[in-house]
Amino acid sequence: MFVVKNAWRNVIRNKGRNILIAIIVAIIAAAATIGLAIRQAAVTARETGLENTTITAQISFDRSKAISELRESSSSSDSSSSSDSSNSSDSSSSSSSSSSSDSKPDFDAMREAMSDKQLTLADYQKYAKASSAVKSTYYTETASLAATDDFQPVEDSTSSSSSSSDSSSSSSSSDSSSSSSSSSDSSKSDANGGDGQQPGGQGGGDMGGGMGGMTMTTGDFSLVGFSSDEAVSNAENGTFTMSDGEVFGYDSDSDGDVIISKELADFNNLSVGDTITVENASDSDTTYKLTIVGIYENSTESSNQMGGPMRSTASDPANAIYTSVSTLKSLGLDADSTTETTDSSGNTTETAAAQLNYTYVFSSKDDYETFVSDVAKAGLSDDYTVSSADVEQYESSLVPLNNLAQFALTLLLIVLGVGAVVLVVITLCNVRERKYEVGVLTAIGVKKVKVAAQFTFELLVVTMIGLALGAAGGAVASVPVSNQLLAAQVAQQESQASSQNAQFGRDMQGPGAQGTSDSASSDSSNASSSADSSSSDSSSSSSTSGSSSNANASGTNNAGRPNGPGGMMGQAVSYVSNVNATVNLKIVGQLLAIGLGLTLVAALVAVVFVMRYEPLQILADRS
Amino acid sequence: MTETTATTAAKPILELDNVSYSYTKGGKKVLKNITHAFRTGEVHSITGPSGAGKTTMLSLISGLANPTEGKVLYNGKDLAKQDRYDYRSHDIGVIFQSFNLLPQLTVAENIMLSMDASGKKFDKPKKELAVGLLEQVHLPAEYANERILHLSGGEQQRVAIARALSYGPSVIVADEPTGNLDMGTQEDIMSIFRTLAHEQGVCVIIVTHSPEVAAASDEVFELAPLRRR
Repeated sequence: MFVVKNAWRNVIRNKGRNILIAIIVAIIAAAATIGLAIRQAAVTARETGLENTTITAQISFDRSKAISELRESSSSSDSSSSSDSSNSSDSSSSSSSSSSSDSKPDFDAMREAMSDKQLTLADYQKYAKASSAVKSTYYTETASLAATDDFQPVEDSTSSSSSSSDSSSSSSSSDSSSSSSSSSDSSKSDANGGDGQQPGGQGGGDMGGGMGGMTMTTGDFSLVGFSSDEAVSNAENGTFTMSDGEVFGYDSDSDGDVIISKELADFNNLSVGDTITVENASDSDTTYKLTIVGIYENSTESSNQMGGPMRSTASDPANAIYTSVSTLKSLGLDADSTTETTDSSGNTTETAAAQLNYTYVFSSKDDYETFVSDVAKAGLSDDYTVSSADVEQYESSLVPLNNLAQFALTLLLIVLGVGAVVLVVITLCNVRERKYEVGVLTAIGVKKVKVAAQFTFELLVVTMIGLALGAAGGAVASVPVSNQLLAAQVAQQESQASSQNAQFGRDMQGPGAQGTSDSASSDSSNASSSADSSSSDSSSSSSTSGSSSNANASGTNNAGRPNGPGGMMGQAVSYVSNVNATVNLKIVGQLLAIGLGLTLVAALVAVVFVMRYEPLQILADRS
Repeated sequence: MTETTATTAAKPILELDNVSYSYTKGGKKVLKNITHAFRTGEVHSITGPSGAGKTTMLSLISGLANPTEGKVLYNGKDLAKQDRYDYRSHDIGVIFQSFNLLPQLTVAENIMLSMDASGKKFDKPKKELAVGLLEQVHLPAEYANERILHLSGGEQQRVAIARALSYGPSVIVADEPTGNLDMGTQEDIMSIFRTLAHEQGVCVIIVTHSPEVAAASDEVFELAPLRRR
């Protein structure tokens, strides 16, 4: 008790010095509190953010990787004839632009190499079974259909075709002046085209947005087959509500049942129960009869709207015809079927009739990670990536928060280091200053241990007061400070993203605009091979009509310009801009531990010094 | 000197048994083969010229240092084998040449600090005892709350004595207690020591080079200068 009493008296007595120490400790504690609060908030946000949400994921072929590899291998033999490449680009219209290119990669080789890599529905289902973590799966298949005389797509701009044909013609003329850049661009689009039956989400999947790539942008309509209600509710064009009729069934009884958008129904003056006739997009002799069982209205905007001027009629959400996969199958338009296309120069190419978009659903992020490892075990090769738009988007939304947490950790370490040094130095001075006191105390018979304990206790009392003040100050400041810091991080992240977008926006200009910016377009083949999937998809599809090829060209143009940022990022990432960095008991506990640790370190120094002092020496030195 | 004969029969409370001391191991010996006994109820003086080892001897007696050779016996027990902190805080009161009071404390606090350090139980409030001790060393009671630095040297010396007495030790050791005091104060302080020894049966050991102090003591132990060959 003597020790405690004496210590307390000394604390009161040396007010000035102790207040100084308390202030220093308070500052350290406040900084540490904020740091700890931010870290905890970041950890909590990370853990709880995806805890109870379902996660969807897709398996995609790593196209950009494969293409770059193939391009490297084939770059030496760029003398392959232009007729080959025009064959490979199955649309007759694109042959005009591609034929003007002198040097081209060997598209056939690339296409062949990559077409083998295509996963079939059976493959997807095999992987789904390979992991128990999969909660459910669904898939959509998208085929394109062409209009007939009595069923026309909704088009809000008739000038688009003429303007885009202008641009395509200008591109072909400009191509002659800059053949290398155009070839790189067309190679990209063709390469992607060979891969066109990939899941539509894949192009975006690379960029964090699974919904990124619109599947079929040619034809006049996209016929989307859904495997289940779950697939319907995750429709690419956004959720919709039925304004009339009801959604089709999924078994074969409902084959031929479709629902169409209200715009399309109004445009063609159709109602529930009517039948429509559409043509095969690649073969005008084949027509299909479909029964309208419902009319839907898109209630949310499609996440993959390609920006403002969306002129490709098939990719217009209004022109999407929804049906079941069973219908697609019965029509021979599912992903396992192929269509033969004969282009104007008489070459025949075979492509899958529909694009398959297979989605795995998981109940948590852990399950998703289990699945990733499970499919790797099940034999999924390195050429494929499992990606989850949800996870990736969430991860990228956490970037500022992670940066902040990193910053907070650095701050914490610096503060602790400086704090420890300062505290030790102060204690050292303190003990040396009070050397005489130590001598007197030990001379009158106070044990050194007690003296050391007294010094430690004094320090503890002062640091605890400082700690309490600092924790209180930190608790008050942590929320505004952390949000302020986070806002700065978000702003930084956004400016980075926007500067990237600005760069890519220029680089990603399509062929139509290429004549004006030749120097920039040469970069595009490397930089934006996957990002450009919308344009590549459009050129890949087996379109025969001239109007759709115009749409194709304009679509490319569109992808380059106004929606460059959106296309790049898949979706605009909304960063986590608010953290709940409140101070709770856990942080107070951690702070207390830190405070005690620092105090003990400092006290250890004091103890060492006290123990070294011999009273006789001190007193002898004094007298 | 009749008292001396009466107390010679008393058992010595503190004995030096063939004690030698050197500050560094194997170095120059400051004390060499000293044997002496100190008894209760007597005022002992240790005299000698400078450098004879007076202060060293006092350090040995007060348990601040251990002899290099020989033994210091307190109540017949070797001091080196005891807890010397306990010894210092309970059994012996040391009055240092430089007083060694804590300047940031008041007079009463300095005295009470020793009481606290001894860990002894007191039947009266410590503050009250401290005032009583001040009276005993001829200091007015209002000095109790005075800071040490506000006191004169003689007054500080009295406080140091009061502090040494506070926990009732059986041995009082004083190093040059009158060294820088005037004659009147010196006599007053010596009378305090004599009262302690003769009336309270304390063994008082005074290190001094003052002949007056030596003359006022019951027994004088003269240390021979060491460097004499």
